[in-house]
Parts: sequence; C-alpha cells; structure tokens
Amino acid sequence: MKNNSFIDSIKEGISGLFYICARELKACAKDQGVLIFFLLVPLAYPLVYAFIYTNEVVREVPTAVVDANKSSLSREYLRLVDGSPDIEIKSHCADLEEAKQLLKEQKVYGVIYIPQNFSSDIAKGIQTQVSIFSDMSGMLFYKALLTANTEASLIMNKQIKIERAGNTTDRQDEVNASPIKYEAVSMFNPQNGFASFLIPAVLILIIQQTLLLGIGMSAGTARETNRFRDLIPLSRQYQGTLRIVLGKSFAYLMIYAVMSAYILCLVPKMFSLVQIAQPMTLLAFIFPYLLACIFFSMTCSIFIHHRESCMMIYVFTSIPLLFISGISWPGAAVPEFWKVFSWLFPSTFGINGFVRINTMGATLSDVLPEYHGLWIQAGVYFITSCIVYRRQILLSRRHAMERLNAFRKRKLLKQES
Amino acid sequence: MPITIHKRLLLISMRELRRIASKPMYVFCMLVAPIFCFIFFTTLMSKGLPNDLPAGVVDLDNTSTTRNIIRNLDAFQNTQIIEHFSSFNEAREAMQKGEIYSFYYIPKGTTEEAISGRQPTVSFYINYSYLIAGSLLYKDQRTMSELASGAVGRSTLLAKGATMDQAMAYLQPIIIDTHALNNPWLNYSVYLCNTLFPGILMLLIFLTTSYALGVEIKDKTSRQLLKMGNNSIVTALIGKLLPHTIIFFVVAVFYNVYLYGFQHFPCNSGIFPMLLAGLLLVLSSQALGIFFFGLFGSMRLAMSCASLWGVISFSISGFTFPVMAMHPTLQALSNLFPLRNYFLLYVNLALNGYPLIYAWHSVVILLLFMILPFFVLKKLQNEMLHYEYIP
Repeated sequence: MKNNSFIDSIKEGISGLFYICARELKACAKDQGVLIFFLLVPLAYPLVYAFIYTNEVVREVPTAVVDANKSSLSREYLRLVDGSPDIEIKSHCADLEEAKQLLKEQKVYGVIYIPQNFSSDIAKGIQTQVSIFSDMSGMLFYKALLTANTEASLIMNKQIKIERAGNTTDRQDEVNASPIKYEAVSMFNPQNGFASFLIPAVLILIIQQTLLLGIGMSAGTARETNRFRDLIPLSRQYQGTLRIVLGKSFAYLMIYAVMSAYILCLVPKMFSLVQIAQPMTLLAFIFPYLLACIFFSMTCSIFIHHRESCMMIYVFTSIPLLFISGISWPGAAVPEFWKVFSWLFPSTFGINGFVRINTMGATLSDVLPEYHGLWIQAGVYFITSCIVYRRQILLSRRHAMERLNAFRKRKLLKQES
Repeated sequence: MPITIHKRLLLISMRELRRIASKPMYVFCMLVAPIFCFIFFTTLMSKGLPNDLPAGVVDLDNTSTTRNIIRNLDAFQNTQIIEHFSSFNEAREAMQKGEIYSFYYIPKGTTEEAISGRQPTVSFYINYSYLIAGSLLYKDQRTMSELASGAVGRSTLLAKGATMDQAMAYLQPIIIDTHALNNPWLNYSVYLCNTLFPGILMLLIFLTTSYALGVEIKDKTSRQLLKMGNNSIVTALIGKLLPHTIIFFVVAVFYNVYLYGFQHFPCNSGIFPMLLAGLLLVLSSQALGIFFFGLFGSMRLAMSCASLWGVISFSISGFTFPVMAMHPTLQALSNLFPLRNYFLLYVNLALNGYPLIYAWHSVVILLLFMILPFFVLKKLQNEMLHYEYIP
C-alpha cells in the first residue's frame, strides 16, 4: 500500500514536471518580451558583432611622413613602410608641425620622422634613429605603426649589413646578416584577428545573458500576474519544489539546446572563424554550461519583481563579465580577489573552456578545471534554486492561507450581524 | 490663482525624487551599478600593462648560450618563464590547458650551428586567442630573438676589435624610436577606462530614462503627471527628468574626478572641458532614451532597443577596434551612437589636449541628439494620455 503511494507520488511528480515544462514553454512562446531574449537576441546579436569585427585586422592606417633626409636611402625606407599592409602613407609633410596638424585633424594616426643625417649616418657607420609618433586613441594604430616600421628597418638593416660585409656568396651574406634565424608562429588565430579573439567569448556570454534576461523577465511576469505577487501559482501541479525547478529548467534546456547549436556551431561557420572543436567534447562541455546558466538564472530571478527590472539589472553586467573572464584582459593579470569573484558566474568557466575547445582544439581533459567548475556551479545553483523556489511555495501558501482566513473572518462577521 | 511654471517643475521634480527614493531599482541603476563598475575596472587593470605573463620554453639544445637567451627572456617585463618542457607536444598541451600563452622553441644543435655559421632557426609560438597577452609576448620574444642573433654577431665583432658602439651600429644600422603620444606607458587602463566608464553610464541612462517614462504608464500615473505639468508634455518631461540629469551628472563628475584626480590619468585639456563633455553625454543619452520610448510607446520595446544601442556602443565606438577598419556602412552608422562622439571628444580633449575646435563635429552631433525628443513630443503626449500598458 505504502509502496504504491510512493510510486503514485513519483508518477504524479513526473506528470507535474511535464505539465510545468509545457506550461513554461507555452508562456515563453506567448510572451513577446521573453521571445526577444530567447530567440531574437541570440539569433541577431552574434551576427551584428561578427559584422562589426568582420575585417579582423587594421590595415592601411593613414600615416604622415616627414622626410628631412630626402635621400635615396630614406625613400627606400619609406617605400618599404608603405609597402607593408599595416600602414599607408597619406601625406608627405615639410616639417613636424605640419604633420602634427594632420594628427589634430585626425587625417592621420601616426607620423614617421626620418632625421636629416639618416643617410650620412648609415654611410659613416653610425647608428641612426627613425622616430615614429602614434596617436594613442587605439592600441591597434600603435601596433600597426610599430610593426610596419620594425619590419622595414629589419629589411634595410640586413641589406646594409650585406653591403658592408662584402662577402663573396649570397649564402655567406645571409649568414652574416643573421647568424640565428627566427620565426614567429601564430597559433590558433593565424591572422591575429580581432573577431577570432573576441567573438567566441561573446557567443558564450550571449547564452548566459539572454538566459538571465529571459528567465528573469518570465519570473517578473509571473509575479505581476499572480494574485499575491508571488512567483509560484497556487495550482495543484505546482506543489513540489523539485518538479517546478526541473520542469522549468527542462523547458529552458530544450530551447537553448537549439539556440546553442546555432550560436556555437553555425555562427562561427558563417563568418569562417577558427573552429576546430571535437563535436563530442563541445557537447560534453556545453551541457553543464547550460545547466549552470539555467540554475544560476533561476536563482537570480528571485531578485526580479517586475518584468522590466531584469534589463535594468542584467544588461550592464555583460561588460564587466567579459573583462573578468580572462579573454580581453589576460587571466594571468586579473587580481586574486576578482578571480575568485569571477567563479560565481558560469560565463567565466564557459568562456575559458569554450575558447580552448573551439579555437585551440583542446580535449575535455585539457579543460578539466573549467568542466568541474561548471558541474559544481550547476549543482550548487540547482540547490539554491530549489531553496529559493521552496521558500516561494511556502510564501504563496501563506499568502493564500492569510487570504482564506481573512475571507472566513469576514464571512463570520457577516453571519453574526 | 494659477501656479507658476517654476512651481510646477519643482512639484514634479519632488514627486520624481520620491519615486526614485522609494524604488531600490533606481538607486541601483543610478549609483550602485556605475560606481561598482568604476571601481571594478580600475582595480582589475590597476597594473596598467599586464606584466609577467606566463610563457614556456622548449630548450632541446641546453647549452650555456641557449640558457642565457632564456634567462634574458625571463628578465623582460612582460614575460615570465614558468616552465621548461621537454618536447614540443608537452608545451602545446600546456598551451591548450591555458597554463601558458606562448613558448620559445630552441631545436637541438642551435649553438653549434650558429658558431659554425650554418644559420639555425629558433621559433616562438604565440597563442593569439588571447590577443593582448599574445601581442605583448610576441614583442618580447621577437626582441629577444633579435638580440640573440645580434649577440652572436656582436661577440664576433668585439673579438675583431670593434668598440661596442661600432658593433651595435654594424648590427642595427637603423633603430626605431617610438613615441606613444600621451600614453607612453601603453597603459591599458588609461586606454580602456576612459571610454568604458561613460559607456556604462550611458547604457544605464538609456535604460533608466525609458523605464522611468514607461513605468508611469504601467502604474497608470501618467495622466496625473501630465495634469501636474498643466497638460504640457514639455513641462512634465523636464520636471520628471531633471532629477535624473542632476544625479547622472554628479556620477559623471565623480568618474572624471576619480580618473583624472585620483588615478592621475592624462588629462591635457584640464578637467572642465571633460565635465562639459560629460554633461553633453548625459543630456544626449537622456534625449535618446526619451526618443526610444516615444518611438515605440512600449516599455519593453523601448528598453530592448536601449539595451541594444547601449551594448553595441562599446564595440562601434571604436576604442578597441578602430572604426576606420570597419565596414563603410558601420563607419557611417557609428555617428548615431553618443558614445562614439564622446570618445572622439575625449581623444581630442583629455588624451591629446587639442583645442575643442578640432572636434566640433562631435559636439554638434551630441547637440543634435538633444533635438530628437521634439520629434516624438506629440506622440509621447498621446501615449501618456491614452496608452495602456502592454506587457
């Protein structure tokens, strides 16, 4: 008999779970606001970002030149600089003042100054200096200017050395100029591009932020439409904590299984970003990430009492979360306090793990710390969402009881009178 | 006896102040969130330039020369050699685990080949999935390689009796002398915080403004508000948003003082022009917030649009990835974002200290934003009078 009732309650629980899941899905589909976060933003945002960074690198930074030397050597140097893809010589100025004027007008972002004694120094065998001035409104301007000039100076240095050495064979020239050769290999982001660096992090962050917003908004709506401003309605199916939490999260998981496939697989493909993940690894990693995000969002949703509050609270957090994750600002340089703080958010582990799996082809064993972190978060946030929902159930019951008592009292008073 | 317009404005402002004080949401968005971000970003990037980034070494040669190269590399400001690997694969795996950002690879027999003039090749592998870390390490390792190559040549030249100057002039006839104008330390905190702060503030202003207007309709208090403004939408709007303007401007003053007074970031124009730019930013953002709400009439759409505009601002303002490298369509569109224009003003004023005249177009565009609400005034009045809240 007892056994039977236990099975019955499980049965009831499961049917309640699916009832809640179906209701949540219906509520999401009906609510335009939630649809924006669950569908429109994840669909459109990655495209906007990829479009902004589509050029990947900065090419042809406009530069001014002040050639005080005007020799064949200085012209050759400038030809080499101009030939590099990084900068483009926009204007030849008579003096530095004129070049500064162009900087002020933002017509150029850098100035190359070749001193008067450039060629004579080289002829005399004295070390000479080319000065470059860079506008610091963008780090990438500085980088482009420095790269182009270093490149040019290295080529010219080599030529000069070869001429001076007066060796007999080309091979001897080569060795004399650089006794040890070196090569730089860019790994995992061969064109050193901005999109390949930032977009993977943004993609993962979009999943967490839209879940926060969507779940927050539906929680706010639930409260506003509820008679007692409670999160949980008072119908029979909503009596077990476990079935509410599992039912709702199952609904979100179904939506986000599809959205993640689009965001994490299709978007990088469309914009031909680096994508060397092993499918099973990615799947195994994203599953706990989604769970952690969902339970995290459900826990946070108790702070949301009104539909629109979610946007006010969550939207701005995207920027700090992106910085704290260790992608734009190197993780090794994040202060200890903020590092520990960042472990509160699934996005930290999610971004680090995804970048390594997707961009660097890491296996699950390479991202074990992140993987474990996500499972721990999923577990902890599952428990907190259960606690939070349990409290909400009790609250809504109490409100109902209070209401009922008040109603009875009134009825009694009426009868007495 | 009719009430004067000043009195009306004052009454509406008092009403708004009470509303602000009664909802923790406002306090959070207007004060807590921006100030948290200010402190967060400055403490996160307190080092300015990340130094001692972890790197690895694969030294298969292991002679005194190569050990010397590695020691020198470790001494560079941005690089810290944390591990020696015995093979290429081990180093690659460490990179995939995220333990190191780059490694330096010296094949067997490098020293011997260099001495006997057979020109060996060393290589360094940089993980550019982390762009900033990668670029910094690249710089160090490249310089190191140049020096290593030079060191071999230098010892030969010195042995032949050349002086140090002569040797250096022989090895590097041309050197590059770089001047990073007004940020010679290449401080990333200076480079990023100056635009992140106003960006966060602007995003919150967009949201708060749309929210404050929408919530009037939602709570069905919009008619009362209009009545207080003598049925003039202009009076009602000014009275309602003036307290917001003041609070947000105080926050703007706070971050300016914090950045230029306490953090001592370069401010070549003096702080007052920057305060003016801050005021322009606050007003134009509020204007855009009103415009969004007037245009959509729905709180949800207005706030979604505000979020979209606010978040995209960070990318399109071009302080990380320059606008000149974007698609031409985006270059034109970037003018529609207040943050882009504020950024140009900041570069012109605080960073470079040029006269304001060189950034006149940004000032004009920011002023133009303030005209936007006038296009939706009629609609706004209509909304306030007749619209029902749609969830």
